[in-house]
Amino acid sequence: MNNNALHILLADDDEDDRLFFKEAIDEIKVKTVVTLLNDGVQLMLYLNQPDVVLPNVVFLDLNMPKKGGMQCLKEIRSNSKLKDLSIAIYSTSASEQDIEETFVKGANIYIKKPNDFGELKKILAEVININWQYHTSGLNKENFLLSI
Amino acid sequence: MKLQIKYDINTACKVIMQENLDRIGIPYEITGLGEIEIKGILSTGQYTDLEDSIKKYGISIISDPKNGVAQKIKDVIIEMVYLEDKLPSSNISDYIADKMNLSYGYIANVFSEITYTSIGNFIIIQRIEYSKQLIVEGVLSLTEIAWKLNYSSVAHLSNQFKKTTGLTPSAFQRIINKRKDADFKAVQTQQKLSTSN
Amino acid sequence: MKRKIVKLSTPYLLTTLILSIFLLVFSAAITYKQFLELTKAEKRVVQSHKVILTAQELLSTVKDAETAQRGYLLTRDTVFLVPYKDAITYSAQIITDFKKLVGNNPEKQKAIDTLDFLIHKRFDIIAASIFKKDIELPLSSADKKSMLSRKDLVDKIRSKTNEIIKNEKMQLKIRESEHSEEVFLSPLTFLYTSLFALSIFIIAFFKIKSDLFHLKMANNQLLINKRLFEHSENISNICNWCWNLEANHLTFSNNIHYMLRCEKYDFKQTVEGFSKFVHPDDQHIITNGVKEALEIHKTAIVYYRVIRKDGVICYFKSESKMIQDNFHKNIMIGVISDISEQHHNNAILEEKLFDLERTNKELLAFNHVASHDLQEPLRKIQNFISRLDANEMESLSENGRTYFSRIKVAANRMQLLIDDLLAFSRTNKAEKVYELKDLNILLKISIQELAQSIEEKYATINTSALPSLNVIPFQIQQLFINIISNAIKYSKANVAPVITISSEIICGKDIIKSSFTSENKLHKITISDNGIGFDEEYAEDIFILFNRLHSDSEYCGTGIGLTICRKILENHNGYITAEGIPNVGSRFNIYLPMTE
Repeated sequence: MNNNALHILLADDDEDDRLFFKEAIDEIKVKTVVTLLNDGVQLMLYLNQPDVVLPNVVFLDLNMPKKGGMQCLKEIRSNSKLKDLSIAIYSTSASEQDIEETFVKGANIYIKKPNDFGELKKILAEVININWQYHTSGLNKENFLLSI
Repeated sequence: MKLQIKYDINTACKVIMQENLDRIGIPYEITGLGEIEIKGILSTGQYTDLEDSIKKYGISIISDPKNGVAQKIKDVIIEMVYLEDKLPSSNISDYIADKMNLSYGYIANVFSEITYTSIGNFIIIQRIEYSKQLIVEGVLSLTEIAWKLNYSSVAHLSNQFKKTTGLTPSAFQRIINKRKDADFKAVQTQQKLSTSN
Repeated sequence: MKRKIVKLSTPYLLTTLILSIFLLVFSAAITYKQFLELTKAEKRVVQSHKVILTAQELLSTVKDAETAQRGYLLTRDTVFLVPYKDAITYSAQIITDFKKLVGNNPEKQKAIDTLDFLIHKRFDIIAASIFKKDIELPLSSADKKSMLSRKDLVDKIRSKTNEIIKNEKMQLKIRESEHSEEVFLSPLTFLYTSLFALSIFIIAFFKIKSDLFHLKMANNQLLINKRLFEHSENISNICNWCWNLEANHLTFSNNIHYMLRCEKYDFKQTVEGFSKFVHPDDQHIITNGVKEALEIHKTAIVYYRVIRKDGVICYFKSESKMIQDNFHKNIMIGVISDISEQHHNNAILEEKLFDLERTNKELLAFNHVASHDLQEPLRKIQNFISRLDANEMESLSENGRTYFSRIKVAANRMQLLIDDLLAFSRTNKAEKVYELKDLNILLKISIQELAQSIEEKYATINTSALPSLNVIPFQIQQLFINIISNAIKYSKANVAPVITISSEIICGKDIIKSSFTSENKLHKITISDNGIGFDEEYAEDIFILFNRLHSDSEYCGTGIGLTICRKILENHNGYITAEGIPNVGSRFNIYLPMTE
């Protein structure tokens, strides 16, 4: 949130959801660079590029073809280069158990895709803000859990 | 084998600064939390050297004075939360303003400009952060944690916890424990694999 | 019927036999002895008679000798010498016989000896007188003297003989009386012995009769049992078989013929004979079973098919066991049952199960559709609605805006319904993992979840101690959340909701209108509120899926929440009821079984 833009990455197979996401992020008063990817395979390829600039936050849909969100989560957390990434699961509603399961598997944030655009904006702003706080105030990333 | 460690950030940072300043050979005096008085003149090369070497620790030299103010406010708050000073229930902001000898309006503005969040919110974040740490340590009960952090009741702590993180403290604890178990199992399987090899 | 113990055991019989024989022999012995006595007595009488006779005969012999002597003396005819010589010889013989006759009696022997001496003296005199020449009359005094002494001698002989005879006669009297005594006793003894033997026979007869009677009764019972057995075999479609392995003797009970729908002559009572009816593909099962039984003496259960005489294929089950009979021989017994019906039923059940599983799979697929696929388009609709709402409302006409807001409301309602339906199906689908949990903790978590609405409505929740039970934690949390959120939602306007939660232990049969009739103890958790309450007649309706007592405009809701609660209680073998008083409040009673 300094003069450098925030790098945000979204992996979601749904066209409309990508559209909503981009528009919402654009309307937030924060300088961002958004990368949109279509599925898990693309995501891992992107992240494993040798000179990649790692995003500040990765938003991950769970139900994607070819490689799903949970699989990506597992791979990211077991990769020494990527394991400190902030990961937000961005998915349709799930039971409390399933949400807890994503946290246990290493996600930092769980976002239930909202029904309202304004809500989405609020949520994304909150996520970016909290992530920034963690980044700048020396808070323990391991305890970074947020369920919205 | 798992080690549980407790760390004091302030001491750690202080030692890092001291080590690096000593290494570069810069005479200095540590005048406060996050404040070092450099005796003499710092060349650009030395400045860059210092900046580079402390960057990997996540320590940066604040250029903007406003940054300094914001940082100071943060430090005050952290001190309040972690060192068990009684949080003055109202007038927190006044208390900070007094401590820094600046007007409340000014510090509020500077803080939100630099950190993009309010002082009140930051305080909540810090308290919840500390309570997370205590929950992970697993030594104190939720009631004791609530008392230690000056919440009026466990319910108050739980409410604020849920509002901030979206999870109840018990859910948080559950997740952390399950994570620990999973990690432990992973280490075990790794050990098994390595011994079998 | 009272079973008298028919003792047929060998030792018992042997004892009785020996005892009877002994008694009979004993009484026979007594009888025999009696007869001996009789004979003896008789003999003794006869002997006495003989003695008397002999004595008399002796006397007569002497007299004969004398007569002969006189005759000779008178006639001097030698013809008289013959009887005289005979008499001497005869008398000697008689004496010998007499002596023998008298036996070992020293007195009598002495008497006889005396007599013998006297007789010999007499004979001597006679002999002397015979061989004397003539007698000259008148007799000289010497002759007279000798004649007198001869007379004396004769008198002595006579008196001695008479003495012997008299003694003997006395003895005879005694002996005769003894004899008559014996004569009296003997038939009596015989009679008693006969009676005794007879009574033994009669006792034996009655005993045998009674034993026979009991045997008959037992046999009758056995016959009835046999009939019952056969009948029950017939009804339950089983038969039994018994195989004496050593003798290789195999018998089947009669029902096998019915089970195989064949006649007696169609079925040979051997392993081969039975195997003829076994389905060709299952022959190996029988062969293996027989082999195993013979080699390992194992108890076995085998299943196989059989082709009846009428061509119908049936499913049989054979179960066998080795036992030992009374002679310690190995006998294999077994039961064959016709399980065709069970088999058929099983097949039907399996088919139904398959159908059920398929239906379940379809339901789960539906669940997935509802959870994900239905949600998605709805969410997008709502998102686009919100976009339009934010940016494009100005472009719409008045009507357009109204319609648009209606679209919004309808979409929201659909969202609610889907959410609740999902929650409902989750209570069905979730793996039922039960844990022992402190319900107080679960309640606290549920209250935390509702923290926001509790705060908004200034609700107070009073709890008392809840038990720890074996439950599915998430479901119980959901239960509490649903009921408490209802209590908060349906509160009176401007009255802060007060919710009271309490717990007690009650007896199962105290619950009316439920299926609990047992004596088991239950936990009863009561959640009551001071809300708007409801009419008692709807107490059951509110648990019906989608059933509501208010319109959506009054109170927002889907009518699924309480149905979910009931389902959750079902999953825990519990029950939930509701009571309400309009404008006073409601009470929900949760019944959960005690955890052992």
